[in-house]
Amino acid sequence: MAKMHLSYEKKKGLYGYGFIALWFIGALMFFIIPVCQSFYYSFNDVKPETGYLAKSWVGLANYKRAFMTDPTFRQNLVTALENMAFNLPVIIIFSMFVAIIINQKFRGRTFARAVFFMPVIIATGPVYAIITGNLDTNGNNNAEQFSTMFETDMVDQLLEFVGIYGFGTKFTELLTTLTSDILNLVWKCGIQIIIFLSALQGIPTSAKEAAAIEGATSWEFFWKITLPYVSPMILVNIVYTVIDAFTDPTNEVMIRVLDVQSDWQYGYSAALAWSYFGIILAALGIIFAIMNKLVWYEGE
Amino acid sequence: MAANTMVSGFLKKFKPEKKYKEPKLTRSEKKERFKKRLESLTPAEQKYLKRKQFFEAVWPVFRAVIVFGLCFIILYPLIFMVSSAFRPRAEMNDPTIMWIPKTFTMSNIKDAIRAMDFWNTLKNTLILNIGCSLVQVLTCALTGYGFARFKFKGKSILFFVVIMMILVPSQIILIPQYMFFRYFNPLGIYNMITGNYINLINTAVTMYFPAFTANGIRAGLFIYLFRQSFRGLPKELEDAAYLDGCSPFRTFVQVMIPNAGSTFLTVFLLSVVWYWNDYYVSTSFFTDNRTIALMLKNLDANLTRIIFDNGNIQVNVRELIVWMESGCLISITPMLIMYILLQKNFTEGIARSGLTGM
Repeated sequence: MAKMHLSYEKKKGLYGYGFIALWFIGALMFFIIPVCQSFYYSFNDVKPETGYLAKSWVGLANYKRAFMTDPTFRQNLVTALENMAFNLPVIIIFSMFVAIIINQKFRGRTFARAVFFMPVIIATGPVYAIITGNLDTNGNNNAEQFSTMFETDMVDQLLEFVGIYGFGTKFTELLTTLTSDILNLVWKCGIQIIIFLSALQGIPTSAKEAAAIEGATSWEFFWKITLPYVSPMILVNIVYTVIDAFTDPTNEVMIRVLDVQSDWQYGYSAALAWSYFGIILAALGIIFAIMNKLVWYEGE
Repeated sequence: MAANTMVSGFLKKFKPEKKYKEPKLTRSEKKERFKKRLESLTPAEQKYLKRKQFFEAVWPVFRAVIVFGLCFIILYPLIFMVSSAFRPRAEMNDPTIMWIPKTFTMSNIKDAIRAMDFWNTLKNTLILNIGCSLVQVLTCALTGYGFARFKFKGKSILFFVVIMMILVPSQIILIPQYMFFRYFNPLGIYNMITGNYINLINTAVTMYFPAFTANGIRAGLFIYLFRQSFRGLPKELEDAAYLDGCSPFRTFVQVMIPNAGSTFLTVFLLSVVWYWNDYYVSTSFFTDNRTIALMLKNLDANLTRIIFDNGNIQVNVRELIVWMESGCLISITPMLIMYILLQKNFTEGIARSGLTGM
């Protein structure tokens, strides 16, 4: 028979390959092969030559160097993980809080929403760097100036903006330490707020009505209705936040990796990056295992 | 329910409903009423009602303070940006000026435009980054649909690759990618025939090629979003199209795309923004590339080179801020305008986008 007869499902399957073919070609060239190569580099001493990279197998030497002899890497790793452990719960709680607030009905809600999502538009790239004052370009040693200007005076600025001068210094000091990080915090939470907001809007009306009829207070409503429905998204947000912090080119380990890389030590930088990646994956795995038990999925 | 509304609408035409108006009560009357109501309740219920009443009175105030405070924190850098972009540099050191400068000047903006070569840079950014982001939205949608609705062998492994694309930072695979572009060897035989490689560094191909194959900036995340959103759409939509003899591709274009509008909008916005702000990828494969984000990153050096080159002008750190903030302002303006135009659809559309389906 000249014509092939395929079942409907098989035909559809072939179309599926058709839909992802473009991506697959790209992924092979720009992702799968580079990832394997980079993993291979991490076991080699790599030197750039014209036209190719000269590799010589060194086994685990690069990894040993990273964890045994490198003076800064371990320290950077600990700092990065500490920052992550500290920021993660703050970001999750804060973005949930904001999402709950802007999910309520009040005057100016549209404006508030627009403002809260705005950092998503601006917060990446050099604009954020200038705003938070970490811009590090040639000949600019005044980063301190920018950052102090934005961080220490935040509370005073707010109070002065509203028209209160000379507020108690102790109180402002306390608030200052809190708020010095809030700018960073708020500017990092855009996507997380979006994810939580969409989860909140997915809570079925029947659950809300049932709670209202039973006379649940807002506190009870939060713990017994909101939290269970939102819990899958908490997991998603944790994963997103960890990855975002991990792939951020401004975190300590990433800076170190890129430094080593621009120093032509490709093999060693690959080893650093892969060990970091391994640790992050392990951390994510642990979080996933713990959270998966706490998460409540509808219909189970 | 539909019938009900129809009937009531029908009735309305003939008999306009009279709205029941509650008789207006003075404060004391209201209080008395509430007291009477309380007396008829059990103590537990009374406590609950009082607490609820207290909470309902306090919460809006509390909420307003928080919303105002947080909005202020977010907008503060922007307010500062606008405030300092239009003020003469001498007034940066004037302690009497808080927000509104005494004189307005456009010279900072003009200088920043000159230092950033703004119009050419904008053109280049539009061609390179925005073009890529648009291409990427389409290819990611295609891939996401393939993963959402078709069954084929190896699908779970391939989808695992998508997840890995989200997880692995682009910095790790930069050098292999660089080697790929620097010594480009089409089909692996070009070198055998000619003995040479094609150098793609410094060409737009390095940006467009990954975007065209759904492997651009954060493509993994977009594929994931599209997959979730297409999975959330009812299957009947496609079945109807198939029964009418539509091919899967035509079904995708004519049935699925119109139904996934809000996801397209979300992904489009994020993709444009991330490409617009990107400086990592657009420096890696270019020796001298002029995009908005890059020019802004190097604004400091360019200012010194172009504006203060005669050495007569001494600019201190605090005064430099006016130019930096002007540069920021002009580079975010296009994004801000786009955001303001789309924000209503964006923020309201999120609820219906694929994000919920995770």
